[in-house]
Amino acid sequence: MTRRVCIVGGATTPFDYGSTGFESIEGGAAECIRETKQDIPNFSLRDLDLMIYSHFSVHFGHQLSSEWIIHDHLGLVGLPHYRVENGGNTGGSALYAAALAVMSGHHDVVGIIGWETMDSVSQSQGSEFIAMASDTRYELMVGGIYPIYYAAMANKWMKDNKVTEEDVASIAVKNKNNAMDNPKSQWYRNEHRYITIDDVMNSKLISYPLKKYDCCLMSRGVAFILVCCEEYAKKINPDGYVTIDGMGLSSCTIRAGDRLNYPSWNERYGPGYPEMTEFGACRNSAEQAYKMADIKNPLKEIDFGEIHDAFSTSEAQIYKALGLAGTGNIAQFIRDESTFMHGQIPMNPGGGLIGYGHPVGATGIMSTIECFYQLSGLIPKKHLSKTTEVPNSECGIVNSHAGTGTSISNFILRRH
Amino acid sequence: MTQLIVTNNKRKKFAYEPNFTEKKEYRPEDVKETGLAFVGHEISEDKTNMNQFLHYDQLYTIRHGLNSPFFIGLLEGKILGTCCPKCGDIWVPVRTHCWNLDCNLEKTEWVEMPLTAKVHTWTIAGWSGRSSLKRLPIILVYAVIGDSKVAIANELHGINPWDVEFGMPLKIVFKPKEDRIGAITDFHFEPAEDWKPTPMNLEKERIKKLVEPVYKWIKTIK
Repeated sequence: MTRRVCIVGGATTPFDYGSTGFESIEGGAAECIRETKQDIPNFSLRDLDLMIYSHFSVHFGHQLSSEWIIHDHLGLVGLPHYRVENGGNTGGSALYAAALAVMSGHHDVVGIIGWETMDSVSQSQGSEFIAMASDTRYELMVGGIYPIYYAAMANKWMKDNKVTEEDVASIAVKNKNNAMDNPKSQWYRNEHRYITIDDVMNSKLISYPLKKYDCCLMSRGVAFILVCCEEYAKKINPDGYVTIDGMGLSSCTIRAGDRLNYPSWNERYGPGYPEMTEFGACRNSAEQAYKMADIKNPLKEIDFGEIHDAFSTSEAQIYKALGLAGTGNIAQFIRDESTFMHGQIPMNPGGGLIGYGHPVGATGIMSTIECFYQLSGLIPKKHLSKTTEVPNSECGIVNSHAGTGTSISNFILRRH
Repeated sequence: MTQLIVTNNKRKKFAYEPNFTEKKEYRPEDVKETGLAFVGHEISEDKTNMNQFLHYDQLYTIRHGLNSPFFIGLLEGKILGTCCPKCGDIWVPVRTHCWNLDCNLEKTEWVEMPLTAKVHTWTIAGWSGRSSLKRLPIILVYAVIGDSKVAIANELHGINPWDVEFGMPLKIVFKPKEDRIGAITDFHFEPAEDWKPTPMNLEKERIKKLVEPVYKWIKTIK
């Protein structure tokens, strides 16, 4: 067996669209590391032996290789570094790369910095930039941006699974209201209010069945997380480190319409899957992660998750892909509030993308940090109260998701 | 690309170099390639924060290469698909090499597709990217053309947004020849001639209510 991979600390800047006071990317990165060092004072920048940078789009940054600016600023010149880019799953993929580096035995202490600066352009231009990660030759100019692709997939999924607009609206309500306990979240910083299903239903149309409040936020933000071998974890954070016990990464088509009859899916799961409705790469990567972590019944063995709720509908689709519910009971699973703080498996206690924000390269790192905080007992310190703490949690899942489900990773984290 | 081609000047190449003889420009007058330029800044009252405005305007060349017949076909009012000679799978959007691993990236053949399709799934957009805002609300459908193994995205015109249905039959309608640019926007879908919408129901009323403010909002966009 390869070496155990641990997480010992991490922090984000506030996420926002517009001024946060953390505007320069290298300044924001430095502040994230400074906050991490407050939690684990024995950590030194000198301990790092690899830096991985998690950043999606140079369009937002008007700067190629902006990781070189950050790396240099942190005083780390001479240390190996490279950037990982994998759409919305950039953060998850960077974590995957860091874990592989530690598992291999080649590196012991790996830092990941993730960031995106989406407020450098207008929201409609930003939507178009993101849509440049769809197949621009076929989809971008026919009115296509990601919320529209997702809406088309979700519309059929909801009909097939008898899930209503109100059902998915409840997921948006949960995540935005969870974010009200998290001062770094964009929802807390901006609109700052508790909402109801009616608020979601009455918000303006983005693309049927998605309304404005069903959608995640376009954000600026930076995040840092520290991944390492167990020997180092025991030295730096003996009482609070978390282990990555399972991980999986999988892929699907770039154009959602191309997955109706894809040969490799037909081989794995039989004809008719994932259709245009299910996230095959989520199911596949979750299966890999569960196998590695020896999880047989995810609903019983996982206490909570931080998952990629780019849209309320995609969070619902992810529940199914993670095996928490099936076609017959997914609607009831949502109606039972199974993923609320009081439910069986709370999802996105940190607010998720809908509440915390979605600065793409930082997002998967943010989700992992929130999961780490829960397992490490740091929530009362990092959130405003204990209402968004999953008490005595032992096992969490982190999900990072790209494209129209084009690349998806899942990680099983456990308190050591 | 199995053999080297010897070109006129005797150099060995892997393919003929295309000679681009048919050229068309339809650039709007206000599109200028200025490259990178700082065009302004702002400073906070307490002089601790500065924002700078950078303008970036650049011409890109999309070289369609092996996919070119599809886009040339659009100019001619045709939908070209591809077909694997080994396994028979057909695609629009096209694949120039087969996706079946056992076909070992077999080169596919071009086939002309029928100008009919069927809705696989749909949505009604009330918001979009900057270049599409003025066309809102947009009905975007993923539809299967002929025997294609995949669905293609495009707009559905000629119908109230609330009337679109799963499985509805479509026809492909091209822009007039002089307006085509060899891009996916050269065609859109419309309902097939004999198709009639079903009567209003709760979902249609809901969609109508969601879409009405979009019509009003679009009128205010410059």
